[in-house]
Amino acid sequence: MEFIKNPAFNFIGKRKFAYIFSCIIIIWGMVILTMKGKSIFGVDFVGGDMLNIEFKESVTVSEIRDKIKGLNIGTYSVQALGTEGKDFIIKSGPGTSEKILEAMEIIYGAEGDAFSVKGKSSISPSMSVSLRKKALYAFFLGIIGILVYITLRFEFRFAVGATLAIFHDMLFVVAILALTKKQIDTSVIAALLTIAGYSVNDTVIIFDRIRENIRKTRSDDYFTLFNKSINETLSRTVLTVLTTLFVVFLLFFVGGETLHTFAFSLLVGFVIGTYSSVFIASSIIIDWHRWKPHKFKV
Amino acid sequence: MTKQYYLRLSVIVVIIGLCIYQVYPPEKKIKKGLDLQGGVHVVLELTETAQDEKTISDLADRALEVIRNRIDALGVTEPVIQKEGMKRIIVDLPGVQDPDKAIEIIGQTALLEFKLVSDDPDLFKSALEGNIPEGYQLIYYKEKDERGIYREGHPLLVKAEPELTGKYIEDAYMGYDNSGFPDVNLVLNKEGAALFESVTAKNINKQLAIVLDGVVRSAPVIRERIPGGKAQITGRFSVEEARTLAIVLRAGALPAKMEMIYREVVGPTLGKENIVQGFKAALYGGILVLLFMLIYYTAFGLLADFALALNILILLGIMATLKGVLTLPGIAGIALTCGMGVDANVIIFERIKEELKAGKSPKAGIDSGYKRAWTAIIDSNITTLIVGLILFFLGEGPVKGFGLTLSIGIVANLFTAVFVTKTIVDWVMITRKIEKVRI
Repeated sequence: MEFIKNPAFNFIGKRKFAYIFSCIIIIWGMVILTMKGKSIFGVDFVGGDMLNIEFKESVTVSEIRDKIKGLNIGTYSVQALGTEGKDFIIKSGPGTSEKILEAMEIIYGAEGDAFSVKGKSSISPSMSVSLRKKALYAFFLGIIGILVYITLRFEFRFAVGATLAIFHDMLFVVAILALTKKQIDTSVIAALLTIAGYSVNDTVIIFDRIRENIRKTRSDDYFTLFNKSINETLSRTVLTVLTTLFVVFLLFFVGGETLHTFAFSLLVGFVIGTYSSVFIASSIIIDWHRWKPHKFKV
Repeated sequence: MTKQYYLRLSVIVVIIGLCIYQVYPPEKKIKKGLDLQGGVHVVLELTETAQDEKTISDLADRALEVIRNRIDALGVTEPVIQKEGMKRIIVDLPGVQDPDKAIEIIGQTALLEFKLVSDDPDLFKSALEGNIPEGYQLIYYKEKDERGIYREGHPLLVKAEPELTGKYIEDAYMGYDNSGFPDVNLVLNKEGAALFESVTAKNINKQLAIVLDGVVRSAPVIRERIPGGKAQITGRFSVEEARTLAIVLRAGALPAKMEMIYREVVGPTLGKENIVQGFKAALYGGILVLLFMLIYYTAFGLLADFALALNILILLGIMATLKGVLTLPGIAGIALTCGMGVDANVIIFERIKEELKAGKSPKAGIDSGYKRAWTAIIDSNITTLIVGLILFFLGEGPVKGFGLTLSIGIVANLFTAVFVTKTIVDWVMITRKIEKVRI
């Protein structure tokens, strides 16, 4: 079976549209991100409490919100899980969840009878500082690891193209998270690293083919040659990401609340990673070449 | 030549056997993380900052011992109690039955003090008005209201300097007082007994407050000199509370105040939900990948499917052997292994397609397809492996579990997707004399 028979799309020719599209999304996302400030980060990065309560009888989000409002405990959020109106996640400031629980007991009845606490966590600000540090440390170490590998593997301009594609992918995912009002937590950092590590592969495969074709044809017409290489590897690029997207789709839709943001980030990241491999990574090298011509070694 | 294939085939069979032996039965052999089986995870931090590093580190070591003793008394199976850095202690209690009680036992400083209550009503009155005399302090009872919630109760004026502290306790156990209410019985050591005797002798008809972590538990009146070093703490305890208190008093007080900077409780139902949802997602995702490969590549797809199944089996086998902890993101890592694991086969098969299109014979096409795809496969695995290892070594809890399954999955993938499929292809080509290949 073959999805795409002898494709001959002009990917490089469409690069201006891709640049504009990516810039719009990323800038838009970053604006929202800066406007939101601290609230974009999950409890593990800023400290705070989280309660997962399941009621015996259905309750509404606004009802719970009203009850908590009277407690004067600062900012909080209530989120319903599922459609039955019984399962809720309440996030609030550090050390405030016990007060919420007490209030729930007064209003709805004893814990165990009227509702049950499925899970709860409390992260103090000092703990969140070290979680943040650790995540940043892991993040930069991971990115540096990948960059070192790419630099060793390719000549300078290719390495820059692949690197920019990686940063593009990660910024894009963060922008989409900001636009969809999702929070950045430890699992998102893990997802971003996974996206960087996995999505660079498509780029590597295309670059490899470009090198092979330069060697074979000895042509200087890089525009045609790059396009040809992307098309030749297209079915491979699409198929590899497709099988991975199958499982990420299911993680997102069936995997449950805990994996929600993680799977969502992967979903966006893998799609965008493929898009940037095809439209962005090679295009950067072409534009660079047009600006300052360069003969690639073979 | 055939001998070599049989050798390779038998290597594969042995590995399959070993992995099945290691994994079966999986519910016993694979260790589950807190997010899958429920439990408590807390991080405590010494609030002490003034002292030098060595002293702080020693304090944390002593606190760790105290906490270990308390948890031993709780009877949790496989608790993990460890020091992190200089002044942090991490406690993991998987599958603990009563998480709130466990947290209370771990977090209580359990500083027990006996303090003399002032018997001067004027002094007490002016203290209530805000003029607390030198060397005295106001402390409060903790009382339960009608809903069972603790509130600050009525005050007592006591001497700030305690007459006796919990460090003289030799043993503590739950008992019942004369009216049948639970209480905690204390046995003091020799030194403590002597102190207690002299304090009681000197202060007959005065009240002696028994103060735990700054809160009055009871304040009995001293009727007579008490020799023998025996004392009771009464104060409307429930059986459970009296037991908890006895445990912490026996294990001793924490050497310094500790703050619980991280606390996570996963109830058993949430753990079960996580398993079911994670497993479902991974299973359906895996099946989708298997079906897709079968439809897209037919016979070669079947080969890739077999390799994928083996990939997962080896992943679980290594997990069981290394006693790695499976977490919910870890299950996601296994699911990703399904999706990424077939990538190597896609790369190989697509390359073979091209080679055959270029007019090569089946054998030559397959051989050069495998050979030429090899570097691409190494490339695609290495960057993901870098990430997986970093998440494993630097990540915590759930994320660590993700790094673990992702890394093992990738390593196993190199073996199954390349070595195993090539062996089987070679074997089929030799035994069946195949002349035409469809892929």
